[in-house]
Amino acid sequence: MKMETTRFMNIAVCINQVPDTASRVSVRDGVIETGSLNMVMIPYDEYALEEAVRLKEQRAGIVVTAFSAGGKKRYDVLRKALAMGADQACLVENGSSDDSRSVAAGLKKAIRSHYRGLPDLVICGRESSDCNRVQVPIMLAEMLGVAALSAVTKLSMQNDGLSVWREIEGGVEEFLLVPPAVISTEKGLNIPRKTNIKAVMKARKEPVLHIDGSVEEAPGVLYDDFSPISRERSCRFAETAEDLVRMLHEERRVL
Amino acid sequence: MGFLVLFEQRKGVIKEASFDVWSTVQHLAGSSGETEIFGLVMGNADRALIISRCTGKGEIHILKDKAFGDYCPHCYAEAVVEMAACKGVEKVFLANTAMGRDLAPRLAMRLDGSLASDCVVDVESAGVLRAKTTMYAGTVSAVIRALRKRTVYSMAPGRSRFKEPVDNAVEVLENRGGCASQGNPVLKEIIYYTERRDIAESDIIVAGGKGIGSRENFAMLESLASLLGGAVGASRSAVDEGWRPHADQIGQTGRSVAPRLYIACGISGAPQHLAGITGAGTVVAINRDREAPIFKAADYGIVGDIAEVLPQLERALDGFKSMK
Repeated sequence: MKMETTRFMNIAVCINQVPDTASRVSVRDGVIETGSLNMVMIPYDEYALEEAVRLKEQRAGIVVTAFSAGGKKRYDVLRKALAMGADQACLVENGSSDDSRSVAAGLKKAIRSHYRGLPDLVICGRESSDCNRVQVPIMLAEMLGVAALSAVTKLSMQNDGLSVWREIEGGVEEFLLVPPAVISTEKGLNIPRKTNIKAVMKARKEPVLHIDGSVEEAPGVLYDDFSPISRERSCRFAETAEDLVRMLHEERRVL
Repeated sequence: MGFLVLFEQRKGVIKEASFDVWSTVQHLAGSSGETEIFGLVMGNADRALIISRCTGKGEIHILKDKAFGDYCPHCYAEAVVEMAACKGVEKVFLANTAMGRDLAPRLAMRLDGSLASDCVVDVESAGVLRAKTTMYAGTVSAVIRALRKRTVYSMAPGRSRFKEPVDNAVEVLENRGGCASQGNPVLKEIIYYTERRDIAESDIIVAGGKGIGSRENFAMLESLASLLGGAVGASRSAVDEGWRPHADQIGQTGRSVAPRLYIACGISGAPQHLAGITGAGTVVAINRDREAPIFKAADYGIVGDIAEVLPQLERALDGFKSMK
């Protein structure tokens, strides 16, 4: 059976790497020490890659390219992207800025030069799980001058565009999004595949393209005064449910 | 200088989180005498309610046109940009909701401003604001320095810690103007869950973790929540098990909540979970393991089996209610 072809031919997936959420981040004298942390691909980025690869499997002719901005340490996540089914991997060389605006500007420059224009769809993870700013995907869309939607939980290809669902408080919104466009992915969109040894070995031999992503973008914000957070409260143990109800009423007035 | 508060309404009802932002901004503006406060409500909303809930000073504009009824990224962003230009607004404040997270970066770009996401804002010195946020799954706090003249603040949930102003000089105006085009994307449909209360809008939350054991066992939490008039939430492990939908996930990897009372059942208390309940008033933990980290982050605790403690708690509440 011949697969249906589509006009969404080029899909760019932007990926990032962060410390594993299980690793303990230490702060010394207001500075974060990341040296010894185990770096992994952001789970949201795995949803992004998985979705791109699934679209590719549904329709003939789609090319999936993974982009990651930063230094050569990014080879790990880019190779993982190839193992998951991306066709190409691009390292966007832009130093190591952690300002969302600078990262988005670097990605924009690289994407524009790689495609000599625009891809049909850019898929990003919803946020980085280290800084949680939820900013880069929409900023990138604004810089590329294309439409965007964030935190997508379901997506389907239609003839006139993409039907895109996003979770809101107490419900779900459905939008029609016409490419070229950027979406960011939310948990629930799919379950990313596990990479097998064969795919991982093959990905190791594939080339990683280098693209210049250096930009003069003035950063939007600066983060400083880092300090570890203590969330400790002092716990009083109640012996019985009656005691608890009485304390909540008498001491806290919450009942 | 102007401060602008964006109110979010769904089906004509303004979010509690937006009222919290308004009240916080009243405090922030108080530090500099010349600051003017504006409010913008996109879509039709109950004028009388706005008047009764928004104390302090300022001028609130309601954009009644149908184009603003539901979230339209393009129309909403353009309306804010227009108002900012027209009123000399330098700082825009909105609640860090699903809509706020989608809209805030668009605003920052179109206003050529800085963006402070998921932040708590305070006054550093007269006329200077300081925004703080958390990183690394809520284990590290950081100060955000805005480098541009205009700044968009997407505010973390939390009841305003400041006393409500007593005087009321808020003016509420209704504007007629619409939006020329919906742009791209276009909203097709919104489905609201009718059978469940949303966790973010609830004053009392009963949340369950892996210790609940199964999807079916969540019925005990539903029952307790309905007795208390609250909503049911879940930890990441419970959502990963498929026992609850992702919309109910509480924590840094899900949603942050700020209820008056939070009852954590069978939740161990991973740092990222605790980060999502920072704003909770009173935290109660029920867990079989006395050593579980959740107890260190709780105000009250009961050590015991969920299946035994929850029914006891319901009976105790029933008894308490009948005494009242």
